[in-house]
Amino acid sequence: MKFIYQDLLNFLSEKPSIQVLSEKLFQLGHEHEIEGEIFDMELTPNRGDCLSLNGLARDLNIFFGKVEPFKIFKGDIDLLCLNFKNLSPEACPKINFLEIEIEGSVNTYKPYLENYFSLLGARKTNFFTDISNYISYELGQPTHCFDANTINSQLIFENRNCQESFKTLLGSDIKLTSKNCIFSVNNKIISLAGVMGGISTACSAKTKKALVECAFFTPESIIGKSVKYNLNSDAAHKFERGVDIQAQEKVLRRFIEIVRDHTSIKGIKIQSFEDIQAQQDIIPIDVKKINKILGIDLEEKEYLTYLSKLDFGIEKQITVPSYRHDVSSQNDLAEEIARIIGYNNIEGKSLEIIKKVDKSVDNVKKLKNHLIKNGFYEVINNPFTKNKEKESISIDNPLDSNKTCLRTTLKGSLLDNLLYNERRQKDSIKFFEISDVYSKDNQINQEKKLGIIISGRRGHNYLDFSKKLDNAFLNELLNQDFDNPFFVIEEISRAELKTKKRDKIYYTEISIDKIPDLFFKDVDLGLGPMNFIKYQPVSEFPSSARDFSFSIKDFKKYDAVIDHLSHLNDKILKDAFIFDFYENKKLKEIKVGVRLIFQSPSTTLSDVEIQESVNKLLKPIIDLDGISIPGL
Amino acid sequence: MSNLDNIVLPIIKQVDGSLHPINQVKDYLLNMLAEMGFHEVDGPEIESEEFNFDMLNIKKSHPARQMHDTFYVENKSNLLRTHTSPVQIRSMLKTKPPLAFTSSGKVYRKDDDATHLPMFHQIEGIYIDTNVTFANLKNLIHQILHNLFGKDIEIRFRPSFFPFTEPSAEVDILSENGKWLEILGCGIVNPIVLRNCNIDTEKYSGLAFGLGVERIAMLKYGVNDIRDFYKSNLDFLDQFK
Repeated sequence: MKFIYQDLLNFLSEKPSIQVLSEKLFQLGHEHEIEGEIFDMELTPNRGDCLSLNGLARDLNIFFGKVEPFKIFKGDIDLLCLNFKNLSPEACPKINFLEIEIEGSVNTYKPYLENYFSLLGARKTNFFTDISNYISYELGQPTHCFDANTINSQLIFENRNCQESFKTLLGSDIKLTSKNCIFSVNNKIISLAGVMGGISTACSAKTKKALVECAFFTPESIIGKSVKYNLNSDAAHKFERGVDIQAQEKVLRRFIEIVRDHTSIKGIKIQSFEDIQAQQDIIPIDVKKINKILGIDLEEKEYLTYLSKLDFGIEKQITVPSYRHDVSSQNDLAEEIARIIGYNNIEGKSLEIIKKVDKSVDNVKKLKNHLIKNGFYEVINNPFTKNKEKESISIDNPLDSNKTCLRTTLKGSLLDNLLYNERRQKDSIKFFEISDVYSKDNQINQEKKLGIIISGRRGHNYLDFSKKLDNAFLNELLNQDFDNPFFVIEEISRAELKTKKRDKIYYTEISIDKIPDLFFKDVDLGLGPMNFIKYQPVSEFPSSARDFSFSIKDFKKYDAVIDHLSHLNDKILKDAFIFDFYENKKLKEIKVGVRLIFQSPSTTLSDVEIQESVNKLLKPIIDLDGISIPGL
Repeated sequence: MSNLDNIVLPIIKQVDGSLHPINQVKDYLLNMLAEMGFHEVDGPEIESEEFNFDMLNIKKSHPARQMHDTFYVENKSNLLRTHTSPVQIRSMLKTKPPLAFTSSGKVYRKDDDATHLPMFHQIEGIYIDTNVTFANLKNLIHQILHNLFGKDIEIRFRPSFFPFTEPSAEVDILSENGKWLEILGCGIVNPIVLRNCNIDTEKYSGLAFGLGVERIAMLKYGVNDIRDFYKSNLDFLDQFK
């Protein structure tokens, strides 16, 4: 909801600056952003009563005083005698109708009405509907204007199952399904009540006589309809959050006054239908309870003054205003007091929670630590899949057709993770995921599983570089006792994966409960201090590798070469490692193979850029006597 | 050094992998809360409407219960939990106060865009005892945020609305660029929730709070796109050692 700063000031006795007003709105819990002199409010869903200038001013009364700057029509009005039937009073306990006929046409609006449209960017439609929209902004009560000449038979309201199509006043066709609150005439739906009117009975610029409907629809009967039918409806937004059940007649009298402000009125008639008498909540006065909830020491007199300034009735008990659907208990009143005092002005008080000794051993943490120490990376995947198994749990309302079930195995997700990284030139992949997996038979079953996937080189150091991740690696990793095996290793065929890679992929999935206790005996928890690194965005550009083989014949230079290779640094050098090391005793020569990997965060590197970096990085070694780099 | 026998082979450094950054942050927070006396409890991700909504005073008409906000499963017989609060409900039904629990893990909401994911992680805490007040809650939240962001961090409480707490608050911290960032939600446990768990509300009151783990992780690590956490990119994961 947006409002104009000056419009709200008109409702306040004092005239706070934008800054002060903003601070107090925040203190009251009314989050917002400000653009120029327009406040864009993000009100919590329990404060439907604040979705208007009048509503916000009621809440701000405690700080700035409130006035009613608008006039309402106070004259006598004839009874309408409308042919109307309310078949669902539980959905609409109160409804009022105003029939109003004007003379001539209205071409210009008074500044308050004109500003509403020009400053807030609202769209003008026709005189009656424009007033309806303005009143909703001013007083928070939606109204709907029918062209009175189109209501030529009994008007019926009901909350019923529908299967009809309906054309809204904005021209969109909607196929109504299940239960909806509707108005109908001659069995034809003319309005989706509380959400949007229909085109067949809508007012136009030619309308001279309007039937203005002003109702209290219960939030339960309206909720979800605007989303279901994809209708952007301010009325539904307000009815869903609850309007004031006692406001309807005042709102219609305000409607008359605005019409009078613009043109001559030929005739007005009004009628109220009230099927269920509204009850206001009553709460005992108990300032001790309020102090106990908040941890403050407030005097009763001050407490009651605060509440009275929020329009609460104070006598022997506290009467909640008819528009405050969010207040019914002592805790609700405590929140009112906290808002007025200011949450930030309530002093914190320490508490001591008695610690209970926890002797449980966290095997999952031990398992994770063991895997990480062996070079594995943990991944987390969402559980949605399109692969439906007999035991799969299906999602009734999936995000899309690829996410219709919950996975029954971690394999698919981990395989996707592996292939994603292979496409990014990764040649040594060790991933694991630990997650609850769900399935169904006669009931829903939950199982905590470990999934491990490996492929490629064992590592990048010169001992592991030429070895491949395989069955033996996994068996060794998990200390498999072959007399009592607790997992099975599967080789995933690449035949259907459409990848050029040849490295074999191995996968195993283990129920955590089935891992023998013995496995955890010598594994530590590995809890260390948390290090919050500063993340560097991952480059989307390809990396390039360059391999070099150093031949060292002057062994006095060996330490210098190794030391230099251990400390290579350049802004485009992403990684460097010794992948080969060979002592040729016969030729009295040491060979060191080094791989340099280059990647830029912002561009695809050219061969020239890489070569420049190589020259710079390796120059100190090249300059040494007794070192040669064949091929460089 | 003049002969090969004296050569010291290049050192092979142990190259560790890494715990997922979200789990690192989650564990960090849970350890911090454990130090304060909170005991970790666990529960299922597939929940009933009763535990996910009804017991928490989330009424049938609440928008969160709509099909466009919550994933329902198996012909609406159950749902994917939208928060970890039902774990606390289950634990409160089993344990008498005083009690102090944390619940954490994956939660699901029907969102998918640059700032929201259908699956994310939450940590929630609840403390029930005699005479627990909003002032106690404030003190506790200050302790948590000071531990996370340092003693000098500026903290702001704002009134908010959660059906399961009353009064309810959202808490912001002031970022380096002068903008307030929403960091957690909290409040005094609504007595309706305590009564649903057979807790005597004349004797006991409670406080509760909840944090989004991704949000904390993004702030602490400087990750701008929440989706990066779930691409399983080795270049990304490798940074969180």
